[in-house]
Parts: sequence; C-alpha cells; structure tokens
Amino acid sequence: MTAPAGITLSGLSKTFHGRGQVVQALRDVTLSCPPGSFTALIGPSGCGKSTVLRAALGLEPLDAGTVEIGGQTPAQATKAGVTGVAFQDAGLLPWRSVARNIALPLEVLGRDLAPASGRIRDLIALVGLSGYENALPGELSGGMRQRVAIARALVSEPQVLFLDEPFGALDQILRRQMNIELQRIWAETGVTTLLVTHGIDEAVFLADRVAVMQAAPGRIVDILSIDLPRPRDAALFAAPHFHDLCDRIAKVLHGA
Amino acid sequence: MARDARKALPPILLLLAWEVVGRLDLVASGALPAPSEILLRLWVDRADYPAHVAATLTASGAGFVIGNLVAVLAGLLFVLSPVAERMARGVNIAIFTLPPIAIAPILTLTLEGMTPRIVLAALGVYFVTMQATVTGLRHFDSRAADVVRAYGGGPGAVLWRVQARGAVPALLSGFRVAAPNAVLGAILAEFGGGGRFGLGSYLLGSLGRAEPDRLWSIGLVATAIAGLSYAVFALISARMLGASRALSLNPAAPPQMVGGRDPLWLSLAALVLPFALWWAFLWALSVPEMLGKTPFGVVDYLFLSDSAPKAQERLLAALAETLPITLAGMAAGMAFAFALAVAGRLTPAFARAFLPVALVSQTMPLVALTPLLVLILGRGTAVTLWITISVTFFPAYVMIAQGIAQVPRAALELPRAYGASAWRELRLVTLTAAMPWLFAAIRLTAPRALLGVMIAEWLATGRGLGNLLNQSRGYLDFGMIWTVAVVSVLLSVGFYLLAGAVEKRVLRRMGMTGGG
Ligand SMILES: Nc1ncnc2c1ncn2[C@@H]1O[C@H](COP(=O)(O)OP(=O)(O)OP(=O)(O)O)[C@@H](O)[C@H]1O
Ligand SMILES: [Mg+2]
Repeated sequence: MTAPAGITLSGLSKTFHGRGQVVQALRDVTLSCPPGSFTALIGPSGCGKSTVLRAALGLEPLDAGTVEIGGQTPAQATKAGVTGVAFQDAGLLPWRSVARNIALPLEVLGRDLAPASGRIRDLIALVGLSGYENALPGELSGGMRQRVAIARALVSEPQVLFLDEPFGALDQILRRQMNIELQRIWAETGVTTLLVTHGIDEAVFLADRVAVMQAAPGRIVDILSIDLPRPRDAALFAAPHFHDLCDRIAKVLHGA
Repeated sequence: MARDARKALPPILLLLAWEVVGRLDLVASGALPAPSEILLRLWVDRADYPAHVAATLTASGAGFVIGNLVAVLAGLLFVLSPVAERMARGVNIAIFTLPPIAIAPILTLTLEGMTPRIVLAALGVYFVTMQATVTGLRHFDSRAADVVRAYGGGPGAVLWRVQARGAVPALLSGFRVAAPNAVLGAILAEFGGGGRFGLGSYLLGSLGRAEPDRLWSIGLVATAIAGLSYAVFALISARMLGASRALSLNPAAPPQMVGGRDPLWLSLAALVLPFALWWAFLWALSVPEMLGKTPFGVVDYLFLSDSAPKAQERLLAALAETLPITLAGMAAGMAFAFALAVAGRLTPAFARAFLPVALVSQTMPLVALTPLLVLILGRGTAVTLWITISVTFFPAYVMIAQGIAQVPRAALELPRAYGASAWRELRLVTLTAAMPWLFAAIRLTAPRALLGVMIAEWLATGRGLGNLLNQSRGYLDFGMIWTVAVVSVLLSVGFYLLAGAVEKRVLRRMGMTGGG
C-alpha cells in the first residue's frame, strides 16, 4: 500500500488553543498522494491548508492521525532528504546571499556543497534570478524572494515536494510561466507534489487531483480528479472544458 | 550638506559658550576651565598618561573579554534551559543592581593585584551582554527555523544556522553598551583598591590639589576611552548590518519585567543561589574568616555580636542620610526627563539637538564626573543631589524620548484629524505612549541612582552609606565593609523589584500588557 515515495495522511486532527480562543484547524483530514502524482490543495483563507502541510513535514504536533512519506515517518523522511519544501513566507536568512540561501537545505542535510554549485546556478536561472546570485534578501522584492524559496525547495532533488502558495506574490504572467516550468520539472523528475494554492485555474492546470477544504473545522470536503491530457500548455487556460472544471471546483468551494 | 551643518551647530555653540565662561572664570571662581585650558593641561601632563591609561585599558579590556565570555555562555544556557534562567534570576538581578563601589573594597580585600579591577569590569559587562545574548537568540525568524527543521535539522541546527547569526546585531549593541561599563568598573576598582597606576588612581591622587584643569583633563581622557570603546562597536555593527538590516527584527516594546509564576522550589533556588555563590567564592579562595564574612558572619556582626548595637546605629544613621537623597534625586531626575521628553515631542528640533548631547554625557564615567561637580558645587548635599539627578536623568530621557519616537505618526495625527487640541492630543497619545518607558526607566536607573549617591558620599560629602564604606576601609572594620556591601545590594535589588511591581500594576490597570 505504501509505495516508495507517496504521501499518506490519515485522520489528521489538530486544535490550536490561542489567546482565549480555540481553533479546530484540522478534523480528520485523510489524503493519499500516490508516488509521482500531483495534488493541489485549495480552500478559503484560514481553513488549515498550511497546517496540513506543516503536519505532513512533522513540524506541527498532532492531536490525532499519522503521516507517512514513502513508508517513513516525517522525521525520518525529512532527515533522509526525501522532501523539499517552499513555505508560504519565503523564510530566507537575511544575512545569506541568494545562492547561499538556496544551499541551506544541503548544509542542513550534511551534503557536500561543491558538486552542487552548478545545480544552484541552474536553479537561479530557472526562477529567473540570474545576476542576483550574491544579492541579499533585503535587496529583493517579495516575488523575487518567493522565487528564491522555490529554487531552494528543488535544490536537494527531493522525491516529494511540498509547496505552500509558492506563486502567491508573482504577477499573472510570471505566474503562468512558473506554472509551466513547474509542470516540466514535475514531469521530468516524477516528484510527488502537494501544492497549496488559492488559484483555481492554477490547481486545475497543474494537478491530477484537487482536494477542496472548508474551514471551521478544517476538513477536506471533496477530491476531484482532473483528467486533462498532458503535457498541458498555455492554450489550455482558454479552453472551455478547462473552465467547466474550474466552475465545478468553485461550486464546491462555495459550499454549493 | 546644509542639514549636516545644522546638526553640528549646537555642539559648536556649546563649546564656544564653554570657552568664554571658562576663560572668564565665571563658574565657582575657575572650577570650570575653558576647553583650551584643559587641552593645554593635557599636553603639559602628557608624560603621566601612558602608564595610567595602559593600566586602566588592561584591566577593563581583560574584564570586558572575560565578562562577555561568561555572559554569552550564560545567555546560551538560559536560552537552552528556561529552568536555569529562572534559577539564576536572583544572581542576575543582584549583578545588574549591585553598586560596583560597594563591593570594590571587598574585592580588594579578597583578591590580589589586577584581579579586583578585572572582576569589577567583568561584572559591569556581564548583565548587558547576557541580556543581549538571550534577546538575540530568542527573537528569531520562526519561518527560517521551519525551513531548517523541514530538512530534519534539530534544535542544534536551528541554533547554529538561524539563531546564532541572527543574534549578532543584538550582541554587538550589547557590547557597545557594555564597553563603557567595563571602563567604569575598572576605574571604580582603582579608586577602592589603591595601586599606583590607572586613571582612577591618578584622579584620586589629584583630588586633593586645587587643579581643576587637571581633574577635567583626566575626566576627558576617561570619557574619551569610554566613548571610543562605544564607537568601535557602533562602527562594527554599522558595517556588518548593511543590507541585511532591512529584514532583521526590531523589538519595539520597552523591556518589561518577566512575569514569573514560578513553582516554589524554583523561587527558593533563585533566592538562595546568590548566597550560595557568595559562600562558594569565600571557600574557593579560602579567605580567612576575619577578612571574608559569610552570610552568617554578617548576621552575626549586625545582630548577635557585642558590637552589634553600635553597628546598627551607625548603619541606620547612614541609611537615614542616603535613602532620602537617593529618592529625591531620582524623583527630580525622572520628572525632569519626562517633562523634557514630552516637550521634545512638541518641539522636535530641540530634541534632535539635545539627544546626542545626552548620549555623549552617558558615556562619561561617573567617577570622573563626580570630582568635577564637586569643584563646581562644593561638598554639600547639593552635589549628591545633582549627581543623582544627572545619573538618572540622561538614561531616562533617552529611553522616554525613544519610546515617544516609536509612536507611529498616524497615531499621533489621528486625534488632530478629529480636531483635538495639541494638549489633548498630548494627553491622549504621547503621555500614554511614554508611560511604559517611564516605568522601565525608573526600574533600570534606580540602581545607578544609589551608585551615584554612594560615589558622591565617598568622594565628596563624607556622609551616608558611601562614607561609612570609605571609613570602614580606613578602620579595617571588615564586618562593616561586608555589611554595607550587602545592605546596598539588597537596597538596590529592593528598589528594582519595587519599581517593577509598581510598573506591572499600573500598566495592567492601563491595559498595556498582555496580562501575565
Ligand atoms: N500557531 C498557531 N497558533 C494558533 N492558531 C493557529 C496557529 N497556526 C494556525 N492557526 C490557526 O489555524 C487555522 C488554520 O491556519 P492555516 O495557516 O493552516 O490556514 P491556511 O489555510 O493556510 O490559510 P491561508 O490561505 O490564509 O494561508 C487558522 O484559523 C489559524 O488562525
Ligand atoms: Mg497558509
């Protein structure tokens, strides 16, 4: 049942006890992403998408439920370098240059940096930041910082990729470009991907399946498969059946 | 260019006025020499300085290094183990509040050579750097820490890759404040300890002669050393921070009392630990019983022995002198600082001109300032009062003014937008915003006020606790030396805790804390 590098979330529950208020961020969230699949997680703001992702990485202690990544616990999988992640906030270290920020996962994993320098240069080019290798995060725009975070998520050549609204701060054109790049990377590497997004069109364009969440308590209300042929190209954004799919998801989102 | 010129104008005018006043001997018949006369004297005495400066620099430098090393390690320990931090609370508060002058004689009794100076300098450094380390390590970007943890990094990896480097700015500003403290500590120990060389010894030796220009030039050199040590770290942090500053954290709240609801055993441990360390200190150095009093020795001296009633009488008489004047000086200094800071809000140009002067004056070592004030004001109570005021006024002014400056423009302008008068706006926004800073200033300057009073009493007026300490040194009355040290530390801690308790209560009533 547990293939080499799929993601299995079963029965995740999590309640936050904040200042005087109690938020049930997750209730019985179950989701299984087969190896090599692309899953999008969509839902209204504050419904618990980021919490799912953090829980999958073992960063959020759970009240109930288990996470398996390629048959391992999150702690084992992250330590082994199976996973890559870009959080909603870039979370760059302000004193490190772009290149050194991208290298951070390798350092934490204890890998050799020297052979990776070419790869880091390619990733910087991929996210369109050539020439900014030595810039500090304070000198970049919000969208540029986000692109650094995406490059950083890919640097460790992960088998499982978690992306939390990685394109949130990008303009529409760049966003489409990055969508196409991401699809190419996913197709080339076969990396199992879980993408959190607010963009319905982005979810439909990229994913095999779209999981829709609702808030209070945070739960998955529907999982829709997107059986559009691949590779998908920019023309798809204008296709009528693409819009039909988008409308269906919008209906689920609005609770219809 | 024009703005730079305008900035430089007030100090230049001040210097010119000083020159005129000095040349005409207007203040206390020549007690305030002109800057040119002071510089001339410095030139005449130039052969004296190298040995003294070298001695002071050696002691304060060694103390600075050792104190910072201990402080950084302690800060690290406290961040890793909150229990250790709470346990060490008593020790930390005691070290922060203890008036260095009170323990200078003890250190000279129990340690040898340069050691007392180094220890006192290190003690002056410890608290500031420890606090900076703890704050620096605690205020880190949790998102960056998440990235490290998402790749399997443990607490060690987060500490090393995120927290440690992130603490550097806080640490540097800690060093900046700590450096002048080390100089002050070393000079104070020179005062209390004899020894031929050191600026403190030089100052003490020149005290008896009627040579204002020499006292002033020694004061100038001491200030320059303290100021330079500050400037070095200010420069380093300015160079290091550069572009990374844009994203670094800027904790904007005034430092508040840590609200502790500790379990009983922890509070007890915190209380007992300072006394245990006192004991350990005596035991480790195997100080003879006559010289080194244990806590029991002090109790015995003050309450049980034959001479106890007499000792109590002298102590109470000294306290009756010292306490009222400390409180009066502090109250005046605070009121003055508060009024000026609020006034500065109304006339920003004035504040801009005054703040640098206030900052510079803070780096002047207290011991160097005292003789100068004595020259001008004589040896009466007035000098004690003025020293206390100046000791509390400047730090309080700087804190309150900075607090007010942090109020966002929009908040200031909102009442005006609804047609409120300037006075009403002041009451609604500025005074309320300044309140937490005023309380923090009271708490943080109370120990310095006591130190100022004791230095003045020791050097100038010959009354009160400071004088009792100085006399007991002369009479080799070891019991009294220890007693005064203990009492002044307890007083200082008492002031600090009292101010903190009032602060907490008032702020809670005003709804300005998150409640516990
Ligand atoms: N550390 C925390 N402490 C208390 N409450 C939290 C914490 N983290 C998240 N929450 C709460 O849990 C709920 C889900 O948060 P989460 O960040 O997962 O939302 P999200 O779906 O990612 O929203 P968005 O789309 O805006 O990023 C929110 O109501 C939030 O207030
Ligand atoms: Mg989120």
